[in-house]
Amino acid sequence: MPIKVNKAIVGKEYPPFPVTVERGRIKDFAQALGDPNPFYINDAVGAASPWGDVIAPPTFSISFRDEAADSGALLRDLGVDISRLLHGEQEFEIHHQLVPGETYLCRTKVLDVYEKTGRSGPMAFVVRETAVTDRAGEVVVSMRQITVVRL
Amino acid sequence: MKYGRIYFEDVQVGDMLPPLVKGPLQQIQLTRYAGASLDFNPIHQDEEFARAAGMGGVFAHGMLSMGWVGQALTDWAGAGSVRRLGVRFAALVRLKDIVTCTGRVISKSEKDDLRLVDVEVWAENQKGDKVVTGKATLVLPSRA
Repeated sequence: MPIKVNKAIVGKEYPPFPVTVERGRIKDFAQALGDPNPFYINDAVGAASPWGDVIAPPTFSISFRDEAADSGALLRDLGVDISRLLHGEQEFEIHHQLVPGETYLCRTKVLDVYEKTGRSGPMAFVVRETAVTDRAGEVVVSMRQITVVRL
Repeated sequence: MKYGRIYFEDVQVGDMLPPLVKGPLQQIQLTRYAGASLDFNPIHQDEEFARAAGMGGVFAHGMLSMGWVGQALTDWAGAGSVRRLGVRFAALVRLKDIVTCTGRVISKSEKDDLRLVDVEVWAENQKGDKVVTGKATLVLPSRA
């Protein structure tokens, strides 16, 4: 008997959370990818760049988490266990580069939840969007994520 | 020209990105990526957990492969050139897999003073199965 996901979370907005980008975290992220691009990891190259500092790799903002919140909130809202999750799709729109020392505000909203049966059985798709804004309130990055729940 | 920049005028529709080859994938890279991305889902770390979940063993974070696709783009076009990157995770990447990321220029356009290049991107494993497919938009400088 397949499990049910809670579709009532469509439209839910999670409390906004701030993230301050740290230089070391950018470097750790680049090195975890095995990407030694000097624009990410070399301070002198960053300082001489058009951005005046190192910048983050394009997928870096996936690491933005609400440290004050319970990391299991989405799972609990959906009513599912972490072992059932797969990453279905991911999109980043990057309007401005993320740089160290800046504090950004992240707002995540659940856009949709729908079910489909694929090759490997029934699945639910959870579509979320996160807007990352700077101190002026301008969107610097937006992320759209589809999480797949194996039902 | 690794870590250089390419100019809008030098790009032609149909141009291929130089392939970026990663792997064979080792567990330590998944552990390191978990720490860097703060994604500690045990399905990427714990063989027993992944088997009990019905996944047949540990597999890589989709975001690791997407990060490699991003690297293939920025190795070619320069850091900071990615305006948009969207992918679908088409198949799982397993330990020992070798993943090759590449892409092909599908269009060029100019909008609001920005010179944009659309690229079809993908990553495939050593068997030739696509593990990531997607599209990217790059902003490139002009020689003008």
